[in-house]
Amino acid sequence: MHEISSRLLEESPEKIAGRLMQKAHNQDGLPEMAIGVVFLVLAGLNWLPTAVKPGSVAHIVAICAQALLIPILVLRLPWAIKTARRKFLIEKAGYVESKPAHKKHLGIVIVIAVVVAVAGVFAAYRGSFPPTSWVLGATGIGGGVLAAIAGRLPRFVIGGVVMAVTGLALAVSGASLATGFAILYGLIGLLALLSGCVVFVLFMRTPAEGGE
Amino acid sequence: MSAKIQRLAEIDRVIHEPGRLMIVALLAAVEEADFQYLRQTTGLTQGNLSTHLSKLEAAGYVSVEKTFRGKYPLTLCRLTERGKEALDGYRKVIKGAL
Repeated sequence: MHEISSRLLEESPEKIAGRLMQKAHNQDGLPEMAIGVVFLVLAGLNWLPTAVKPGSVAHIVAICAQALLIPILVLRLPWAIKTARRKFLIEKAGYVESKPAHKKHLGIVIVIAVVVAVAGVFAAYRGSFPPTSWVLGATGIGGGVLAAIAGRLPRFVIGGVVMAVTGLALAVSGASLATGFAILYGLIGLLALLSGCVVFVLFMRTPAEGGE
Repeated sequence: MSAKIQRLAEIDRVIHEPGRLMIVALLAAVEEADFQYLRQTTGLTQGNLSTHLSKLEAAGYVSVEKTFRGKYPLTLCRLTERGKEALDGYRKVIKGAL
């Protein structure tokens, strides 16, 4: 509390509020568990097409699942976390109703998605994909940096470092793109799921304090 | 004393207290939050938070509504329009003075 009070004199109230809310958002480990599940599904869907015969029904299903399941999971998991908290954890975690997503943030996400999609289509059209090692290395480093910045907490920074190192190791190992992504996403998913479970157990062991 | 520093005299003392500033800043970032969430997030004790909320409510900066979600009692807190204006004003005074 004293530390926060002194910080209020140095930083803007919004920055302090943002940090406190981020900490509260991750206190029960549910977001990490959700991220872990998404990454494990992503790893499985990356590996599946390599394990079945190309053109087979299983192959087509795997590719369709990759295109449809991940966006659905990413869009619905925040709702699932909110519902679980309000139904089972409200006494411990409290109740909060967030403001609707800022239009500016949504705009940035849409612009990034469009740029990546256009770059992919352009590369496919010209038949000049960047080398596999570059893609794996860049995904590992980019994902690691994003995890560290977005998570803000030490365990997310460690996760980010692990992701970056794994990406670089896969880049020099000569693994294929699908196998590399399956290993990278699988490892990160497993780490996130385990760390989320540990945080959740510790959170549930903390005795709940009474209301006002 | 410069005019910039003199502006500090205009500071809103209700909002200037660190605990209350933290509550107001948090409530400005969400639609509404309950007492338990505010306590978890700010790290204030039950008594301190209760006192600060009473002062903010008396100043008209925060609205407090007691309700239920199932069997769980909720003390819902929201920043009022007056509270938003007070936070904006506070930010301007501090920015102008420093």
